[in-house]
Amino acid sequence: MPFELLLPRSLEEAWTLLEQGAPGSSMAMAGGTDLLLAMDFRRFAPERVVSLSRLPLDTVEFGEREVRIGSTVPLRTIELDPRVRRALPALSEALAEVGSVQLRHRATLGGNVVRASASSDLLPPLVAMDCRLTISSRKGRRSLSLDEFVESSWRTKLQPGELVEDLRIPTPLPGAYRWQRVRPANDISQVGVAVVRHPTHDGSSAPDWRIVAGGTSPRVQRLRGSESALLSPWPSEEEIAEAAQRAAQEARFATDLRAAEEYRRKLLEALVRSGIESTLERLREGGGR
Amino acid sequence: MTRTDALPKTAGAREYGFDLSAPKMLWAVYVTSPHPHARLVSLDTEEARRAPLVRAVLTSKEVLSLLPHREIDEASPLLVAKASRFQGEPVALVAAETLAAARAAARLVKSEWEVQPAFTDIESEFSEWPDRDRMKADPRVNAHVLAHRGDFDRIARSCDLVHEEVYRTPMVAQVPMEPHSCLAKVTGEDWHVRTTTQTPFGLREDLADKLGLPQEKVRVEGTWVGGGFGGKNEALLEAHALLLSKLAGRPVRLALTFREEFLFTRTTQPAVFRMSSCVKGGRLVARRTRLLLDTGASLPGRDFALGFALGFTLGPYRLEAWELEGYALRTNRPPFGPHRAPLAPQCTFAAESHLDSLARRMGVDPIEFRKAHIWTPGEINPFGQEVGPFAAAEALDRAHELEKAWRAELKGAEGTGIGAAVGFWSTGTSSGGEAILRLGPKGLSILQGEREIGTGSIVEGLRAIASSRTGLPREAVRVEYADTSRAPFDSGVWGSRTTIALGRAVEKGCLALLRELAARWSKGGSGARGGKRTGAPVLLFEKREVRVRVGDRVRSLSSLLTRKERREGGILSHGKEYGRSQALDTSLVQEGVLYPYADLIASVHLAQVAIDRSTGAVRVVRYAAFQDAGHVVDPEGYRGQVEGAILMGLGTALTEEGLLTPQGRLLNAGLLDYRVPTIHDVPRELRIEAIEGYLGSGPGGAKGVGEPPIIPVPAAVANAVADATGARVRDLPLTPERVARALGLISSGAPTPAEGKGPARAGGSVG
Repeated sequence: MPFELLLPRSLEEAWTLLEQGAPGSSMAMAGGTDLLLAMDFRRFAPERVVSLSRLPLDTVEFGEREVRIGSTVPLRTIELDPRVRRALPALSEALAEVGSVQLRHRATLGGNVVRASASSDLLPPLVAMDCRLTISSRKGRRSLSLDEFVESSWRTKLQPGELVEDLRIPTPLPGAYRWQRVRPANDISQVGVAVVRHPTHDGSSAPDWRIVAGGTSPRVQRLRGSESALLSPWPSEEEIAEAAQRAAQEARFATDLRAAEEYRRKLLEALVRSGIESTLERLREGGGR
Repeated sequence: MTRTDALPKTAGAREYGFDLSAPKMLWAVYVTSPHPHARLVSLDTEEARRAPLVRAVLTSKEVLSLLPHREIDEASPLLVAKASRFQGEPVALVAAETLAAARAAARLVKSEWEVQPAFTDIESEFSEWPDRDRMKADPRVNAHVLAHRGDFDRIARSCDLVHEEVYRTPMVAQVPMEPHSCLAKVTGEDWHVRTTTQTPFGLREDLADKLGLPQEKVRVEGTWVGGGFGGKNEALLEAHALLLSKLAGRPVRLALTFREEFLFTRTTQPAVFRMSSCVKGGRLVARRTRLLLDTGASLPGRDFALGFALGFTLGPYRLEAWELEGYALRTNRPPFGPHRAPLAPQCTFAAESHLDSLARRMGVDPIEFRKAHIWTPGEINPFGQEVGPFAAAEALDRAHELEKAWRAELKGAEGTGIGAAVGFWSTGTSSGGEAILRLGPKGLSILQGEREIGTGSIVEGLRAIASSRTGLPREAVRVEYADTSRAPFDSGVWGSRTTIALGRAVEKGCLALLRELAARWSKGGSGARGGKRTGAPVLLFEKREVRVRVGDRVRSLSSLLTRKERREGGILSHGKEYGRSQALDTSLVQEGVLYPYADLIASVHLAQVAIDRSTGAVRVVRYAAFQDAGHVVDPEGYRGQVEGAILMGLGTALTEEGLLTPQGRLLNAGLLDYRVPTIHDVPRELRIEAIEGYLGSGPGGAKGVGEPPIIPVPAAVANAVADATGARVRDLPLTPERVARALGLISSGAPTPAEGKGPARAGGSVG
C-alpha cells in the first residue's frame, strides 16, 4: 500500500500533521521497526506516516532525581550510556537483550511503549521503575504513568493527534531484569521479569519493591502479591521464596507456541527469585541504601 | 588464504538466483492452498486476470492446455486441480509487470474449499506399533521395509537385559539464506531456466519429464547458490516459471517468500523410533529398530528415506543379530526431501541416546561401552560388508582422552555434563561426474556443470585437487561454469560427493593430461628438441606462464602443443568418474529396499553443557568433533564445513521444530519462531580434529565432509544433558521446556516422552 512519508522538523508541525484525516489515517513513527513490519503484514494501512526522526526528541538528560529519555533515542544509545548502566541496571540489562544490535540502532523506547507488546522486554523494567510518559498534541501536554498508558498489544491511551515526547524515570533505582528464551539471542522471551527496589521515603521502614512480569498475556503485569511478600529492604530467603511462589500463582499466563502456561509459571518463579537475589547482590556491592 | 568467492560475495558482486533479472521480465507469485487437505470446489481467477499490470495467470487448466500430452496426474499435479495434499501446495500463479501488482492480484484469486480431515500426526494415529496385516490394507503406507539378520526375538528371550525406549523427532527445515528462486525464458524450442540449484542435470531430467519435452530442449543454468543443504535438489518452481513464460511470451522471475519456504519445500518430517537392545554377558548382542516415518505427501515408490536411514539406527557397532522395520507414511505435510545427511542426525539421536542410556543403566562408562563394540577396519559388519578404512576407533580413543581432561576440569560441578556420540555416513560414490580440462600456456581451466553452493567444493575443492595433481599453483587453475547444453554431465552437489566424484573426474583429467605431455616429451614434442624422459612431468607456473618440467629439464608448455591446440587455447582432456555401487546381501531383506553403505566415514563428537536446573535451559559450553577425513583436500574449507555442520546440528538439537495446529497448519512458518542458531549460539570452545589416513575413494583418499559432522550433534547434546541431570530427554529439540519436563519441574503441556519400559531381567541395574 502506498503512503506518504512526512518529516516534520518541529513539534507544532508534527502535531498538525498527526491531526490530518480520519483517526488512524496518520500514524507517528519513531524507529519504524515495528510499524513498518505491521504495515507490511497489512495490520495498518495509514495514508500518512509522520516520522519523528527530525524532532528534538533524541536526547538523554540526567537530572538530579530523574532521567528524561527522548522518545526517539535509539535503544543502542541508551544501552551504551554508562550513566544508565549505573543508575538503572534493570533497564540496561533488558536493553541488551532486545532483538539484535542492528535492530537496537534503529528501534526506540518511544516506539516500544506505543507498540505495547505483551512480550516486550522493556515494559517490565520501565513499569517497575514507575516510568511516566510525556504525551503532547496541539491541545497541550500531559503526563501519564506507563502502567496506565499500556492497555494491550498495539493498544494504549494515546489519542489521535498525540505523540510520546519522552519517558521520565526516577534515578537511581537498583534492580535486575531476568528473562528466558528458547534461543538466547534474537528471540522473544517466554517470560521476562523486572525486579526493582525503590528507595524508602520519610524514614518509613516499608520497602517499596516492584515486581513486573512480561511475556504474559494480554499485557505487562505488576505482581502486587509477590511484592507484598517482601517485608523488608533486605528480605530473608523465606520472603524471597514466598515472593517467587506468589508471583507464579498470581500472574496471568496463556499457553502459546512459545511456552505452555504451566512452564511459564515455573519459569517466573525461578526468574523472580534470581531477580531479587541479583538486586540484593547489587545493593550490597553498591554499599546498600 | 581467502576463498576466491569471498570478496565478490561480500561485496554483493555475485549473482544469486534471487538477484536474477532480465529485460521485459515479469514477476510471478504463488497462490497456495490454505488447507492441508481439502477439495477444491471452485477457483475463480477472473478478477485477478483483469487486475492492473497482470500479464498471465496459470492454473491447472492452463497447464493442461499447454501440455496436451500430459495426463493430469492426480497424485502429483503441477498445480492443485481437485484437492490439496498439504498446506501451501501451489494452486495458481500470477505474473505481472511488478512484484507489488502480482501480489495484489494474487489476493484477488478466489478459491472455495471443502475441508477434509488432515492426517498430519502419525503419533496420535499409531500410538502402538501397528500390526503388519493392518498396514498392508492401509493406503497411506508409502513404503515398508523389513530386514533382519538372526532372530532378534529369540535372543531377547534369552539375554540378560532388554532395554526399550521410544524416541521422537520433529519436522525440521533446511532454511537456506537464499530462498528458492529462478528466471525462466521460453524462446521457441528453447526452454531455458536459470535457477538456484544443487543439481542442474537432475533438474533437466525432472523438468523434461514434467513438461513432456526431450532433455535437449530444456536448458538448466545454475546460479550461485545461497545455501542448499539438500533443499535445492529437486525442481520445485522451475516448471511453473517456464509454463508462465511460455504463456506470457516473456521472461518470468519466480522466488519463494520465507513463509513459502517453510510451507512447501521438501524437508525432514517427523519420525518415531522404537528402539530395543539386548545385552548378554555385558555385551550388546542384538538390536531392533521400528521406525514410523512421516514422508509427507510423497508419492509411493518415490521414497528414499526409509531404506536409506534405517541402517543408521544400528550405529557402527558389532551385533550378533538385528531387525529393522519401518513404515513410510503418506501424510498431509509437504513431501519429505533431502536435508544435510537425510534423517541420519535423527536416527543417530535415537540410536546414540539409546546406547548411552543403556550403558548408564548397566553402570558402564558410555564411551568404554562404545569402544568395546565399534567397527574396525577389516572386520565384517552386521550388514555382512567388510569395513574398509574407518577411523571410528581412533576417534573414540581421542574423544575419550579429551573427555577425561574435561571431567577433571569440571570436578563434577552442579549442572554440568559431558556427552559423547558416534555417527557414521556413507558417501554417494556411485553417482557419476565429468569435467573437461583445458591446459594452455595461461593455465588450466576446468569446465563443469555445477555452481558453488557455499561449501567451497567447486570454487576451491576442484582447484585444490588439480593443483596437487599437476603441480600448478591454485591461482593458475580456473573453474568454468556452463549450462546443461554445454557442460559435461554431473550428478549434483549433494551427498558429500562433489569433491569425491567430480573431484575424481578432475583428477583423472589431470592425470590424462600429464600422460599425454609425457608421451609428447618423449617424442620430442611438436617441433621441439626431443630427449629421453626421466620421471613424470610436473607443471610449473613461472612469470604467469605454464611450463613443463621432467627431471631437471624445463620446457614451455607451448612447445608441446600442436598448432591447432595453440590456436584453441590448449590441450583438452575429459575426466570421467563413474564409481561402483556397493551391493548388499539381499537375503537380509524381506521387504522393501535397504541401501548399502560405501566409503564409511566416522564422526565422534563431545559436547559439554551447562544446565540451569531451575528452568531447564541448556547451554553448550564446549564442543569437540573428531572427524574421519581420509585426506583433507582444503584445510580451511574442511574446517568451515565441520563448523557449519555443528552449528546447524545444534539447531536440530536445541531449538528447531515445525509446530502444527490440531488442524495440521504450520504455526511457525517464519524465522521468528522457527529458530535457527545465530552467531551467539556458537559454543565458546569449538575444537575440530581431522583424522587422516583412513583413506576413502576420493582424490588422494579424501572422504565426503559436508554431511558427516552434523550427524552426531543432537545425540551428543542429549547425552550431555543426561550426564548433567540424570534425566533423559527423548524428544527433539531439547528446548528449556522439554528439559524442565524431564527434570520433573513441570508435568503437563506437550506430551510427556514415553519412558523405557523394557522388562529388566536379572542383572539389569537401573541407571
